[in-house]
Amino acid sequence: MKRIFNNIFTICTSAILLFSCQKLDVNSPTDVPTDLVFKNADGLRSALVGLYNNLQQRDYYGAYYPLMADLNSDICTAGGYDIPALNEIGAHAITSSNLYVERIYLALYKCVANANAILASVDGINDPNLSAEEKSSIKGQALAIRGMVHFDALRMFGYHWDNASANGVPIVLTVQQAADVVLRSTVAASYTAILKDLNDADALLAAGSTDAKYSNKLMVKGLLARVYLYKKDYANAAAFATAVIADGTFSLLNSADFPGIYTGRLSAESIFELSFDAQNQSAFNGTTYVRPDALRTEVFFLASQQLNTFFEARPTDKRSELVDFVNNDAGILPDGRTLKYRGEVTKDNPAYILRIAEIYLIAAEANKLAGGGLTYLNTLRTNRGMVALDTEDIPDEATFLQAVLDEREAELNFEGHRFFDLARYQQMESVLGVANSNAVFPIPLRELAATNNKLSQNPGF
Amino acid sequence: MTNKTVLNCISSFLIIFLFSPAILNAQNYTVMVTVKGIVKDASGNGIAAATVNVKGKVSAVATAADGSFTLPVPAPKCIIEFSSVGFKNKSVEINGEENIVVVLQESSSQLGEVIVTGYGSQKKSNLTGAVASIGNKDFKDQPVSNLANSIQGKLSGINVTSPSGTPGAGLLVSIRGAQNPLYVVDGIPMISESNSSLSTSFNTTGEEVGQGQNISSITDINPNDIESIEILKDASSAAIYGSRASNGVVLITTKKGRAGKSQIGFNVYTGMQKVAKKINFLNANQFVDFINEARANDLKLYNADNNVFGAGFDATVLTDPLNYSAGNINTVWLDQIFRTAPINNYEVNVRGGNEKTKFFISGGYFDQQGIVIENYFKRMNARINIDHAVNDRFSIGTNLSISKTLNRRSFNDDTYSGIVTNAIGASPLMPVYDAAGNYSKFEDYQASWLSDNPVKSAHEIVGTTDGYRLLGSFFGEYKFTDYLKFKTSFSADYVALTDKLFLSPITTDGAPIGGRATKANFNSQTWLNENILSFQKLYGKHNLGALAGFTQQGTTSDRNATSGQGFPLGSGLSDVSVAAIITRTPVAPGGNNRLHSYLARVTYDYDGKYLASVSIRADGSSRFTEGKQYGYFPSFSAGWNINRENFMENSKTLTALKLRASYGFTGDQEIGDYQNKPLWQPAIYNGQSGLKPKLITDPNLTWQKNRGLNVGIDFELWNGIISGSSDYFVNTRTDLLNYVPIAGTTGFATLLTNGGEVEDKGFEFNVTSRNIGTTNFKWTTNFNITFQTNTLLKTPIDNQLLSAYNDLNPTHILKVGQPVGSFWGVKYTGVNAQTGDATFEDLDKNGTIDANDAQILGKARPDFYGGLTNSFRFKNFDLMIAAQFSSGNKVYNLIRPVYENLGYSNDGGLGQVYANNSVNSLKRWQKPGDVTDVPRASFVNKNYIENSSMFVEDASFFRIRTVNIGYTFSKKSIKVLSGLHIYAQVQNLFVFTKYKGFDPEVSSNGGNIDRTAGVDYAAYPPARTFTFGFNLNL
Repeated sequence: MKRIFNNIFTICTSAILLFSCQKLDVNSPTDVPTDLVFKNADGLRSALVGLYNNLQQRDYYGAYYPLMADLNSDICTAGGYDIPALNEIGAHAITSSNLYVERIYLALYKCVANANAILASVDGINDPNLSAEEKSSIKGQALAIRGMVHFDALRMFGYHWDNASANGVPIVLTVQQAADVVLRSTVAASYTAILKDLNDADALLAAGSTDAKYSNKLMVKGLLARVYLYKKDYANAAAFATAVIADGTFSLLNSADFPGIYTGRLSAESIFELSFDAQNQSAFNGTTYVRPDALRTEVFFLASQQLNTFFEARPTDKRSELVDFVNNDAGILPDGRTLKYRGEVTKDNPAYILRIAEIYLIAAEANKLAGGGLTYLNTLRTNRGMVALDTEDIPDEATFLQAVLDEREAELNFEGHRFFDLARYQQMESVLGVANSNAVFPIPLRELAATNNKLSQNPGF
Repeated sequence: MTNKTVLNCISSFLIIFLFSPAILNAQNYTVMVTVKGIVKDASGNGIAAATVNVKGKVSAVATAADGSFTLPVPAPKCIIEFSSVGFKNKSVEINGEENIVVVLQESSSQLGEVIVTGYGSQKKSNLTGAVASIGNKDFKDQPVSNLANSIQGKLSGINVTSPSGTPGAGLLVSIRGAQNPLYVVDGIPMISESNSSLSTSFNTTGEEVGQGQNISSITDINPNDIESIEILKDASSAAIYGSRASNGVVLITTKKGRAGKSQIGFNVYTGMQKVAKKINFLNANQFVDFINEARANDLKLYNADNNVFGAGFDATVLTDPLNYSAGNINTVWLDQIFRTAPINNYEVNVRGGNEKTKFFISGGYFDQQGIVIENYFKRMNARINIDHAVNDRFSIGTNLSISKTLNRRSFNDDTYSGIVTNAIGASPLMPVYDAAGNYSKFEDYQASWLSDNPVKSAHEIVGTTDGYRLLGSFFGEYKFTDYLKFKTSFSADYVALTDKLFLSPITTDGAPIGGRATKANFNSQTWLNENILSFQKLYGKHNLGALAGFTQQGTTSDRNATSGQGFPLGSGLSDVSVAAIITRTPVAPGGNNRLHSYLARVTYDYDGKYLASVSIRADGSSRFTEGKQYGYFPSFSAGWNINRENFMENSKTLTALKLRASYGFTGDQEIGDYQNKPLWQPAIYNGQSGLKPKLITDPNLTWQKNRGLNVGIDFELWNGIISGSSDYFVNTRTDLLNYVPIAGTTGFATLLTNGGEVEDKGFEFNVTSRNIGTTNFKWTTNFNITFQTNTLLKTPIDNQLLSAYNDLNPTHILKVGQPVGSFWGVKYTGVNAQTGDATFEDLDKNGTIDANDAQILGKARPDFYGGLTNSFRFKNFDLMIAAQFSSGNKVYNLIRPVYENLGYSNDGGLGQVYANNSVNSLKRWQKPGDVTDVPRASFVNKNYIENSSMFVEDASFFRIRTVNIGYTFSKKSIKVLSGLHIYAQVQNLFVFTKYKGFDPEVSSNGGNIDRTAGVDYAAYPPARTFTFGFNLNL
């Protein structure tokens, strides 16, 4: 009997020793350790898909970056369940602890980090399955996106209108460790880094790359036009804008079909359109329209009365049909809702990051009245149901600039441009009635705390 | 030597020790004689479960239900000792007798009680740590789904709060200020958190904003299957559980079989529940008057200064006739969603066996309907506990329980889109159904706070959580000698849950998409193997005990979810598989972790006078990186039974007095799996799958440590007429595992790292007094109280602001020198008696009230808490009244700004008021000179600030938790039965509190994140429950 039990114990004990040899090391079945991501070409391709997915974050082009910017202008009003953080953006009195601002900032630099991881690895990958062309394409796309994201950071958090200002944004070009802190660059240095990335991308991307779902050569040229415009380097802005128009790949739709930009997907007008689908939805519909009889409390971003007044003065403007100030719940009135993001069932509304219409407007603004800018303006105007303007209507550059800005408001509302236009021309006070120091968003308090106040705050916050 | 080598050495040593022939030969276990007998009380009834042993020998037998026992003795002439809780110990000298009858005298002393400790048990008089114990009789028959309910207010140092009244809801168990203890059921550490994928709340844009309802998996255990609950409070008692013990350990022991005639028991109760307290709202007339007054107030200001509401303000909204008036409709919404709900429990158990095999089998059915319509929780459970002695040396056994729970959830409850939250502030002018019998459209009525008609939400949004759970262990124990034994056990905890949520196509959220459904599955398997060698021997007056062991554990879990939208209208079909479009629902992924542990303990006492214990546990966890995996958790404790000293021995007053002191270390590794390696996660774009960064890690990440000091005293006066204990403790948690904010430029928001230090210290006192103890009338009082402070000593980022819900302004702050979970906001300074406006403290004196004026407004933790229980027995009647109290705790009542908005209409068009107001608004300022703390009504201005002390309320309370009156039929009157007890009970009879919400204990978000605890967003309110039941024994 004793022997039997001894045997049992021997077995048990062997089992124990066997178990204990198992390593205390477990791996997640749904994630990949960072050091195994960039093993080969496939890893690189995967990381690039991830980069586009990062652009889709709700706090970035999943809706909030463009819409929160619009909310901080005169075309949009805050709805929602009395959400203080939303209301203060609507009142152009943002505090540095604003949760939305905090998350937008984080979302931007998440994209930068993703791009940096790709850029840090791409040259070291020598995979026979990776052609030189594909390598250039991946590198070019990552650079284009990094440039775009840094620029989006600059125009939201930096003094982008003042090339002499120290209040640029952190430019992150390397893979960061947890304790690393990147301080703010000057505005000039920020522009230099952004332009370098975009110019490098321009050189790397093949001429034939025109898929508007991805960063392509024309998107890079279009972004360069936009950046130079903000930088007030009008010659370069005009040159790049003209080049994109001349290329002809992207063009204005027929006048009658133009709402197809919003009802369809990837129209000829979209140079860079971030795609969503039913499995990967954006928040545009859920924050601007929701459902036909939505209450004011359900809609975050309402079209303001100012936008209604603005369009009332432009009776022939077809774009006025994209804003509805009538078929709304009584609580929403007299504000309205944009109709650019319908599609309550699938909620796959894309982000219209760069459209040919904006390029026409850049060409107009950069060439100025003196340089033939009016032609570009009129091309767009007539396409959208407005009469062409002539020099009698536009006697001087100031009038011309106002006409361009109005056209931008009419064309690009609810696509995230209005606030930046007001900031570029320092019109916070004249248009919104708040101090011009509000032409930027505050650096989030969270960032100041996390960096032990090494990051400097924008004046006035 | 590396850690590993050390550990391998230890285990090798263990093996050698085990199989050493010397040890095996050392046994002298020759049984000569067997003594049989019966143990009785003074009135001649057999005493069950009394301990019988030969003096000087450790091994003992327990008496059967009728008091009979069979004890092998080494020689015909020896001394046999008898002990049983509630009776005086007795020694009987035998001289060849083989059949004896022993009568034990009743005693009030509890010192003989045996207390379950980690990996063993000890007599209460020999304990050196702080262990609270509660037996079945103190919690049986309570109409609760969660066993932690039954210890509310009963034990010092343990603060159990019910953050939600939802049937099956989780409870907040805080042991000396640390939340979420480790639960160990019959030796198996049990997964106790909520496993449901639905326990989150979403805002209108589908963004996760809070935790929402917490369905505790502890509810899988039937409280009536439990024999006793022991709570290891101090670090030295808990240290034997090492890495998971820093929040204390709750040991649950289920009922075991007993030799003797099989006993069959039936426990049945049935009852009704009603919401304990309702919030009263303005009726239709008052509501309309209120809006008119708000507009009139504003009009007066506007007439005095046309720019008071900004240039271009259109004053017609103040003068236009209202498009609504108080008609026949006057809906009291809370009455529409609350109901009187039944609660039922049926249970049968059989307990019996013989000397070789003992068993306990039980089956139960518990059905609690929620006090909110449609909501319920049901549990079916079965348990089988068997112990079998193969021979004198070898015994085996199993403890196995299976349960199934069915839960129809109250949608989004405890969050701001829940049924209760929705019903709060709904317009009294809105009928439930329109003339055609359809749910009335909330859009057509006042109160824009709503997200849907609450009654419609309750009926048409169907959320269910169904769970299966198997908790079982199989063990074998081998006695090498009288004093040395080895026990090995294999255990498993298997959980399978299915969550379903269906928003029918007629709900607001479901309508535009043709209905939406989500189905989620969760399953988890934990296995555990424990191998313990233990030794206990008396050398003269030296009593030496030791144990050494090796345990290993692994958990694997898996979670997935699918959502779909577009369901055939009117069909009632709700399964995801019939949806028109499949959409994605991100869920937290599953996990996988392992734990290897080595443990050892030595206990020593000299003549029961001087006590000492030393223990150590080494835990290796897969949650940390190699080199940081092992944590070592030692403890030391000592005790002195002063009453055993000569100078005290004859004291008739102070019959027991013990001093205890302990110091120990425990750890915490509750960070989730896969947090130690930087990771990339799947991400899709344009139909392609790719990867994006997920996690940045701290390579030095390791255990959170807790060191605890405990000094205590136990006493008994007059042989236990009055008994009690008192403890002083200081627990310091260091290297806190925290997510700290890091620079956003890293691409990440936070880093999980060790940092910070929190100190909990306090004083506990509990006393039991047997006020009257005659044969016909007994009166016993239990009182306990705990004073406790919590201080944040260090934190990586000081003054860190936190929000209870992601889309709220900061509600809490982490500040050095303050308690964790301090409320943050501006200070309300009352109503200006001339203007009726709310005033706030302008800290920075800049003339505006904003975030810069925020300050600390209080804390969620109480200064002291405790309980008072009085038990009476008069002849066959018994009465028990249990009360619980808490003082100094505050609640951020964040739902009040909704229902005390004072007529504010938050939309720019001013078409709708925000929500109906509670009757508290009747106290509002109405004319200059009114002195009140409720500001004037205003349609345009927000005359309140959400995050201000206006809504931080004192939530101190005194609660009469249980009143139970019963009658026990005497055996003579019911010959067939061996026992019948009937009772009537009220649970949650009354709460004395100034708190304005439903209940001062209620906390949204489940409250289990202590940094953002104490927020009330109209969580599911608790019920008052009336039950009637009986216990019948055959």
